[in-house]
Amino acid sequence: MDFYKHIVQKLAGEVNAKEVSPQQIGEDVARRCAAVHEKCNAFIKFDPELIEKGIKDISQKIAQNKKLPLAGVSFGLSDAICVGGTTTTCASRMLESYRPPFEASVVLKLKEWGAFPAGKTNMDEFNLGATGKNSFFGEIKNPWDTEYTAGSGAAAAVSSRAVNFALAPDGCGELRYSASYCGIPALKPTYGRVSRKGLVDVAPSLDQIGIMAPSVLDLAAILEAISGYDPEDPTSFAHEVPSYTLLLQEKENIGPFKVAVPENWAEAPYLEEGIKKAFLETLEYLKKENFQVQMVSLPNFSHSLVTAAIIRAVEAFSSLGNYDGVRFGLRVEGSHLQEMYRKSRTEGFGSNLKQFLTFGALISAGNYYGMVFQKAQKMRTLIIKELESCLQSFDLLFIPAVPFQAPLLSSNDKACLLPDPAGYYTAAANLAGLPAITIPVPAESVSGSAGVQFIGKAFDEAKLLQAGLLLEKENPPRFPNV
Amino acid sequence: MHEYETVIGLEVHVELLTDTKLFCGCSTAFGAEPNTQVCPICLGLPGGTLPLLNKKAAEFTIKAALALNCEIAPKIAFDRKNYFYADLPKGFQISQYFYPMGRNGYIEFLVNGKTKRVGIHQLHLEEDTGKLSHIGDDIISSPSSRVDFNRAGVPLMEIVSEPDIRSAEEARLFLQKLRSIIRYLDISDCKMEEGSMRCDANISIRPVGSTEFGKKTELKNMNSFRSVYRGIEYEAERQRSVVLSGESVIPETRHWDEAKGVTRAMRSKLVSADYRCFPDPNIPPYPVTEEWIQEIKKTIPELPDERYKRLTEEHDLPSSTAEVLTSSKELADFYDAVLSVHNEPKTVSNWIVSEYLGLLNAAGMDITESKITPAGLGKLLQSIAKGEISGKIGKTVFEEMFNTGEDPALIIEKKGLKQISDTDTLSRIISAVLAANPQSIEDYRKGKKRAMGFLVGQIMKETKGQANPQLVNKLLMEELNK
Repeated sequence: MDFYKHIVQKLAGEVNAKEVSPQQIGEDVARRCAAVHEKCNAFIKFDPELIEKGIKDISQKIAQNKKLPLAGVSFGLSDAICVGGTTTTCASRMLESYRPPFEASVVLKLKEWGAFPAGKTNMDEFNLGATGKNSFFGEIKNPWDTEYTAGSGAAAAVSSRAVNFALAPDGCGELRYSASYCGIPALKPTYGRVSRKGLVDVAPSLDQIGIMAPSVLDLAAILEAISGYDPEDPTSFAHEVPSYTLLLQEKENIGPFKVAVPENWAEAPYLEEGIKKAFLETLEYLKKENFQVQMVSLPNFSHSLVTAAIIRAVEAFSSLGNYDGVRFGLRVEGSHLQEMYRKSRTEGFGSNLKQFLTFGALISAGNYYGMVFQKAQKMRTLIIKELESCLQSFDLLFIPAVPFQAPLLSSNDKACLLPDPAGYYTAAANLAGLPAITIPVPAESVSGSAGVQFIGKAFDEAKLLQAGLLLEKENPPRFPNV
Repeated sequence: MHEYETVIGLEVHVELLTDTKLFCGCSTAFGAEPNTQVCPICLGLPGGTLPLLNKKAAEFTIKAALALNCEIAPKIAFDRKNYFYADLPKGFQISQYFYPMGRNGYIEFLVNGKTKRVGIHQLHLEEDTGKLSHIGDDIISSPSSRVDFNRAGVPLMEIVSEPDIRSAEEARLFLQKLRSIIRYLDISDCKMEEGSMRCDANISIRPVGSTEFGKKTELKNMNSFRSVYRGIEYEAERQRSVVLSGESVIPETRHWDEAKGVTRAMRSKLVSADYRCFPDPNIPPYPVTEEWIQEIKKTIPELPDERYKRLTEEHDLPSSTAEVLTSSKELADFYDAVLSVHNEPKTVSNWIVSEYLGLLNAAGMDITESKITPAGLGKLLQSIAKGEISGKIGKTVFEEMFNTGEDPALIIEKKGLKQISDTDTLSRIISAVLAANPQSIEDYRKGKKRAMGFLVGQIMKETKGQANPQLVNKLLMEELNK
């Protein structure tokens, strides 16, 4: 059976109709997860019990003839998102044994709708980048070619069709560009659209839980499930949630849209020719589809990554202050409190994370507070204004997703940089809290594709999905064998 | 040689009387088993720390800011104050750094009969820390320490005065007035002994006439009004002798040792002075509208100053009596309640100030613990006014009421204390007494007026003090002058 090739709605329909049993799905998902874990190290650890438990719950509900919109749908959960019955490590030694006594709101919603978590996916420690090299639990390999990084275990698992979709945090674009490394679409919703309750805090003003899935229709179905106000997240919004799947079915609603492209889009450091070519070809295609494409001046867009990195470092230094060995996580005993802190954090955190936190501590202290941190906050305001005013005249902003294809795991030229230069095109949406979608388009690369990206107005995810669907039709989803 | 004056600014922390903590639903009840009133939010557990603002606490703070004549901030906004300490679960304290709830207020109180005004620099809301107990002297030398997080996250209001206070006595009066206002508002019980009111003092000295401030020390660990007075007195004197010996005061934090009656420099600060404050990205600002302020204003009761004015101007009470009565809301409310039964301000206030407070002091009790009800005292005073009992008997009855909580009428009845105002009965007794004391009659008629007193005494003795004294005087006089 090829359940894994189904879009989630079709799969749920079959499960609800009892044409497919949850047990069959469970076995299939477990087999594929084990395979992709072996090949890519996609999970923190492969845990068939988590799948068994999920299948048991769903089987009971199906036996009671409940109709669940996501019945039998499996998902990977980034290890920064809390779920019961297992650890949440953020790929850090610090949290190797941490078992949260609560579940993320998104997980509760998905379970209610009949989906089940199949595993906690690997990631760079605390999601600070998607190099695939900064996990305490080992490198994350690209399912298209294991010499290359997958960026994140979520991207590896979804692109290999081990799970139907994955949820992962997006702080500067990690969700979107790791999805692009592996040739799958991804959506970062508007800030506040999806509850962050249960997502481990790193940079709360930038972080948003996003979705990776094999197809745009899947993204729509999952967005519908996890969106909406959550009284447990003070930054979530009570904005109406439309039926995204229905909107995608009404074909006459799609485009043509007015699309803006920053005139200096090609100035990104490390921009590869293959990516450039794929982007330009897509631009031509959009024009052919009667999209009105216009070059615009966004002078501050190029500062978005460094701006986001500064703010992220300061917020992360603060948000990771709770890792002190007192109440949970790794404790390395010292002769006094200060030494216990120092030893616990020295041994619990990886070197890249420590560099980043040190950077955050430095730029928020003394005179640097005004010289660096406050300047970045001002720049953030400028970037937000620039994007908002641009999106008053245009439906969408169109840019690449990431300047380069998935880097080789053996190469060190980009991986050591702070911040991860892969976030050049993605960080702006985090700064402004705007929704963004990335879609793979054909290109010469390890995954055979390159990611392109639309950024939309706040809470206008519908348009992003519609534009994404249009591009996808030209390039039906492909996936590597595991 | 210069004369020096003491300059004092106080920082007062007050725990607010909300049922739940500032950012979670945990109980704030005092005295529970350690670590039983905790949750992921107040423990700072990864993924579970999104703070949910307790609006009641904000309302209380606005109420206090209004009562202290402050300007109110246009929004409720919180910042993170970052530092590491074992009693601080998140590695930062949520406080109001950029937008304190109130600014530029003042408190007035009487010093030697003159009104003294002390400015309120600011008033803000923050969360309390946990409580450490060390085995040994302090956290450094201690082989182990215990932390109780029941207190972590309890709403704490900090009131920072301007350096307008000039003596230990003024500091004590300031604190008393502040406590009285806060208790009138019913937003904190302000018990210094239980830690629900805490006070630190910034102390410096300078030559009289100088407008510049001297080097200040911060004095901590004063756990009663008396220790605030003693601590400041000692520290100011210590600074004087330092300066007079030609040295200069070292700016440092000092610890008041209640037992030894001295201040000591604390070990070098464990906590960095650079708190890297920045707006908490997890708490969106909440607007404070004019309507809301007006609503809160309506809930503010008559405050001590207004009440004092009413008592001195409308009730014509002497200022010393009015001051005593208004010093505590319970006492002032009691006074007003007695008036509603027996509307004689002078009599009522005299009874409360001399009799009632006398009994309370002797028993070491607080008015809230007393069995006396306003209605009871009112009825007693009515009985005296109607001539049912004498004022002297009234005091006996009152003592009985104080001890047993019984109704005055019942006590009078039971003990047969009702005053004898029947002319026939009294005349009979007077005749008998006169017959038994011919010498006294003789003395009186010879002009020894003191004999009259003796005869009255004899009559009272015969009636066990129940004879109506005015009537006895009148009848006796008539008899003697026959």
